[in-house]
Amino acid sequence: MNTTRREVLMFAGGSAVGVLFTPAPWRLITDSALWSENWPGIPAPGHGEIRTRYTNCSLCTAGCAVRARCVGDQPVQLSGVSGHPLTHGALCPFGLAGHHLPYLPSRVKQGPAKEAADAVANGIAKCGAGECVATLDLQPARTASWTYRRAMAALKNGRYVAPSGDSSVAVDLSQARTVLSFGVPVLDGWGTPGNVNTARGGFRLIQIEAVESRTATMADQWLRIRPGSEDALAQALAGTAPIATAADATGLATSEIVALIAQLEHDGPTLVLGSSRLASSGRTVIARREAPVPAEWQKAAPVTALASLPDRSVRVLLIDESAQGEYLPWHTIEKKLVSDNPVIVAFAWSREGYARHANFVLPVGVYPEVAGDIPSAIDSVAATFRIAAPLVSPPADMVKPEQFVAAAAGLATGDTLRERADAIHKAARGSLFTYADAKSQALKDVTADAFWKALNAGACWIDAPDDKAPVAQLAAAGTESRPAEQADLPLAVVVSRELTPGSPILSKLYQESNLRLAPNRVALNPACGLEDGAQAVFETLLGKCHVGVTLDAGVPAGVVQVSGSPAVLDLCAAGVRAKVVRV
Amino acid sequence: MTLRRSISFLAGLAMALGAGWVAFPRVIYRSRPQPVNFSHKIHAEKAGAKCEDCHSFRDDGTFAGIPTLDKCAGCHAAPMGTTAAEKSFIDEYVTPNREPQWSAYAGQPENVSFSHAAHVKRAQMTCESCHGNTGSSDTLRPYQVDRISGYSHDIWKTPNMPHGMKMADCVACHRQKGLEHSCLDCHK
Repeated sequence: MNTTRREVLMFAGGSAVGVLFTPAPWRLITDSALWSENWPGIPAPGHGEIRTRYTNCSLCTAGCAVRARCVGDQPVQLSGVSGHPLTHGALCPFGLAGHHLPYLPSRVKQGPAKEAADAVANGIAKCGAGECVATLDLQPARTASWTYRRAMAALKNGRYVAPSGDSSVAVDLSQARTVLSFGVPVLDGWGTPGNVNTARGGFRLIQIEAVESRTATMADQWLRIRPGSEDALAQALAGTAPIATAADATGLATSEIVALIAQLEHDGPTLVLGSSRLASSGRTVIARREAPVPAEWQKAAPVTALASLPDRSVRVLLIDESAQGEYLPWHTIEKKLVSDNPVIVAFAWSREGYARHANFVLPVGVYPEVAGDIPSAIDSVAATFRIAAPLVSPPADMVKPEQFVAAAAGLATGDTLRERADAIHKAARGSLFTYADAKSQALKDVTADAFWKALNAGACWIDAPDDKAPVAQLAAAGTESRPAEQADLPLAVVVSRELTPGSPILSKLYQESNLRLAPNRVALNPACGLEDGAQAVFETLLGKCHVGVTLDAGVPAGVVQVSGSPAVLDLCAAGVRAKVVRV
Repeated sequence: MTLRRSISFLAGLAMALGAGWVAFPRVIYRSRPQPVNFSHKIHAEKAGAKCEDCHSFRDDGTFAGIPTLDKCAGCHAAPMGTTAAEKSFIDEYVTPNREPQWSAYAGQPENVSFSHAAHVKRAQMTCESCHGNTGSSDTLRPYQVDRISGYSHDIWKTPNMPHGMKMADCVACHRQKGLEHSCLDCHK
């Protein structure tokens, strides 16, 4: 009896039907899915002893205290430190996921350090009369910043450049009864989250802003004004311009401005926040001493504003964007560079910022990989010194920007953080707050070694109270200039500055959910004629780039809200207008 | 001819059903014995031990999991009984101070953080509600691990794990109790 081809096919068919009624195929699909969740390369906590370690978050200058739950050497959970006198146990969503940052997909992991050092040396040697070597430090007032300043002082034509902002001035939220904010994200990343939340019950928040930001929605009062009319309103409030002029510029009713002036007069002390200027009535803006530094560091280059550098004068530009800070649009930097082959070195964790324009991009460690101190927060009435103690090791080939710059300038440096800590200890003022036991003790009662050890275990030095001197009385504090009407660029630009870098997981969540404006998106009023999710070109007089469109009723007609991503900020300037065209 | 073809079809069907229901479950898992033939029953009945005496919480509230050798050696530095299993345990692990490599039946994969404190202390769940009758077992079953996913057999619903411990099982139980959580609560 021969088996025919058709019988074999029937047998195979029966098997195929039969196997569908067993768990095998379905289980194989499930197992394959589970297997793919644990592929090599997907970050997974190692095995080991469960320990608690402490550090300080260096994602922004709030520098919140962090309690890290670690399995072996791997942090698996970050949380705040309760009882902390400044951060009050709070940690923002970016800080809660800070331990994801080493796994940023866009991270720069290799760079030509040797070639960059040679090019910088050549550039310094070629520097002619009227030319200079400049270091741009996005987050000044760190110990690394002092190294940059010393290195630039060691060069005869060195300049230390930093964005605007004065670390010797702080605001005391606890003294304010009214906070008048000109577009400052007071409740969304401006100060120390725990400190702002703690003080929030004590002041009335009035938000002056063109778009319905998160702070605007949570403020006690939101006054929607026309984009760029902040200065006109501020001058009317300060009594230096007619109310009618401000009403005309802002779109507010005269009665609203009169009522606002009355509120500020009766509900003081008042703190006025502009994006870069502060003003106050009462003792809400105070002078703050800086944390002590070694005496020999005082021979440092002064802080220079970028605008004060002559055009076409920078032969070598070293940019430290390893720490978060104010992004200066590239067009403001580019005009300062010499026209013939300037050397530009960017110390960066990603290629999305100044790295796009640099000759050399050198990789740097990210939080929580590298040790570095955090400048005092804007809302900390006393100077602080805290170190972001590393929780994990950085990858090989990471460059330490301050060491690179010091070596290029021929400046010999040691352990600068330790030297700074010793100088603070020598001053013997203030107190040391340790996180594990949530206790404060006078610094004079602690030895220098114990102080250093405590700082590396996530402690915080807080300066002694100083004579709090008011810096300014209520004055004009608006900052934006009003966009001039242009027929071909119908939209006024409002920049929404977002904190980056963020956790890869959180970034994906908020970008896909549109909870925050993603770096490559712009927000427009639903009546703009474009569809939500449409691809478009964002264009200003400075250039154009591709963006996605988000429709948001909180954005008024005639306004485009853009994110704070470097590619978009490069196209923006004060008073810039734009158009968004569907592609 | 039609009969022969039908028989071929049914033979294929029967073979596939047999392979899928009988052979496949045996092939998909790899078994490995536990290092010691531990009896939960003896420890519970003769020593009066409760689950939390050995599977304890640390001072910081975190769950210590399977006890380490120190815990065992606290009682078994010298034989307390006459069983071969105890003698073997002392000779092979306690005396040379070698940590036994236990396999956790309910061990979760690397991408999940399961909090015993939240379930036992806050939600007041009993050990048996997830671990079934493990606490009264007289011997330790071989640990079965899925060859493809690397997951323990007990992650699926079994007599020893009445609810299962896959994500769908966690979500179903939480929904049943009116609890909704975010991804990062478990996937740290």
